[in-house]
Amino acid sequence: MNHYQLLITVDDKQVVLERILQVTRYRGFLINGMSAVVNTGTQIGTIELQVSSERPIELLVDQINKLIDIKGVKVDNRSSRQSSAQDYLLSTQYK
Amino acid sequence: MATDNQHTGGSLLFDVLQQHGVQHVFGYPGGAIMPIYDALYDSDVQHFLVRHEQGAAFSAIGYARATGKIGVCLATSGPGATNLITGLADALADSIPIVAITGQVATAAMGSDAFQEIDVFGLSLACTKHSFQVRSVDELEKVLHKAFTIALEGRQGPVLVDIPKDVQLAAVEKLGIHYDQITNKVKLPPADVSKALEVLSQAKKPILYVGGGVGMANALDEVRQFANETGLPCVSTLKGLGAINADNPHYLGMLGMHGTKAANLAVQECDLLVAVGARFDDRVTGKLNEFAPNAKIIHFDIDTAEINKRRTADAAILGDLKINVPLLSMPLNITDWQDKIVTMKKDFAWQYDHPGKGIYAPAVLNEISEKMSENACVTTDVGQHQMWAAQHMSFNEPCNFLTSGGMGTMGFGLPAAIGAQVSRPHDTIIAVTGDGSFMMNVQELSTIKRFQLPVKIVLIDNAKLGMVRQWQDLFFDGRLSETDLSDNPDFLMLANAFDIKSKMITEKDQVSEAVDEMLDHNGPYLLQVKIDAQENVWPLVPPETANDKMMESS
Repeated sequence: MNHYQLLITVDDKQVVLERILQVTRYRGFLINGMSAVVNTGTQIGTIELQVSSERPIELLVDQINKLIDIKGVKVDNRSSRQSSAQDYLLSTQYK
Repeated sequence: MATDNQHTGGSLLFDVLQQHGVQHVFGYPGGAIMPIYDALYDSDVQHFLVRHEQGAAFSAIGYARATGKIGVCLATSGPGATNLITGLADALADSIPIVAITGQVATAAMGSDAFQEIDVFGLSLACTKHSFQVRSVDELEKVLHKAFTIALEGRQGPVLVDIPKDVQLAAVEKLGIHYDQITNKVKLPPADVSKALEVLSQAKKPILYVGGGVGMANALDEVRQFANETGLPCVSTLKGLGAINADNPHYLGMLGMHGTKAANLAVQECDLLVAVGARFDDRVTGKLNEFAPNAKIIHFDIDTAEINKRRTADAAILGDLKINVPLLSMPLNITDWQDKIVTMKKDFAWQYDHPGKGIYAPAVLNEISEKMSENACVTTDVGQHQMWAAQHMSFNEPCNFLTSGGMGTMGFGLPAAIGAQVSRPHDTIIAVTGDGSFMMNVQELSTIKRFQLPVKIVLIDNAKLGMVRQWQDLFFDGRLSETDLSDNPDFLMLANAFDIKSKMITEKDQVSEAVDEMLDHNGPYLLQVKIDAQENVWPLVPPETANDKMMESS
């Protein structure tokens, strides 16, 4: 299991936090911790997510970046074991 | 009635729709969307009343896919909104630009479990590209413009706008916002282009793997020119069918689970796959780690998230296909490989000399394909008939073959044909369906009747859920669980109830005359084609199997 910390900056719009959480779950990442400052009336919101998964973090970062109100996603504290998308997919059996 | 810049939320909606060139919408009224339907009464936008909101969503999808324009559907709150959800999911899976407008209970009642209240905004998170809930009428104009921009920009997709009843009723002054034109221009890292050129120039056995993104990017001319200039042999995904002209001597048809033998064998042997607007879907790759095992990958796409998602790219070129694909154009010296492709194409060509008197569905569909006009548009439902249509019909553009690819939604074909017919009133629209799928949205025959839409329905009838039955026979020891449909209604009487001319054929010597009669008929027509219930779709790559280990008979 790989552990990652994401720092996400967003346009502070309706349900942006829900959207990020939905994508994170759907793409196969477990949320281990979260801190969010959103809906404050300012233009920018910030969300820190601690997540874990067997999947490489690039898969999640690309999907979060696709969300409309996302300004940026940074990955901190990368786990020592890195796996590429291809490594992951080749190690799984798709049903 | 609204005048000049003075509007209600409802009338502003139609004003903005017209600003975006929307002439037709598909929908079904109800309590929480009544102010919008009241504004429709004064609008020049033409509304097509469907008989179930799912039909509205699929008609909007058919409209969008047949034209490249945005499709629009309307539904009320609660069950009206939830009935749209399958259509939204279908549009998301196939990247179709539609805008869905839902009525919502008044803002004061929201969150109180009011009558016909559902959190469709919450539901939309998993099945739209983006969604909005308009809490103030002052936001409405900007949100609507943004919905249209988002639906079309980049990788296209469905957008939902949920509008509470009080917002629809509220007075508002139109601001006259000018929305931005979509450009989709992305600056490319030059390293990837030079890497791609290097990889392409070194390939001895390259293949062009074309997906649905080509048609959606309106890049047919560029991709065909690229195929011609490079001489690359070509294969297509289900959604890419029509992107490569069928008379291209190096075109091998569809690859994947029900792909042609030639396409799958060639891809397994190739040393380079040039993927254009395709996403290495599991129905394409079969067992992923044995898919095109010797191939390097050049991947063109507009969606960053598709790069390296299922297969690592040796070179990735992101952005508009119209601009990017020509960047790699160069003549290639691959004559030996081309010759082998031509031989494979000839050796594994389809055969239509089926024994017996019964009707062979692939032969019927091939005959329709050869007889239909060049601009004819075919929709399908999902199942055996869908795969036979993909295998045995030819299309000169992707907008002439509308099928539910990613979601595989039964019930898609008939309402999608309605949307296509509305958008292209002078073209022949043919819905190829199965007896299982047809019954999923059969109520839309009423929409055909109401608007006298001349849709041709080809009902491939085996009195089974044929594809599931095939899998039960092949992979579940013949334990036929809930796939018998021998108690289907009398489809000719059903068509008659909707004033639709119909005919049933049961033997192959009836096919030619019946196809002619259907295509020559001016109005709607249902041709029921009875086939052997044991007929299977071949070839078939079994699950978790490499594409070169296809089954060709049971």
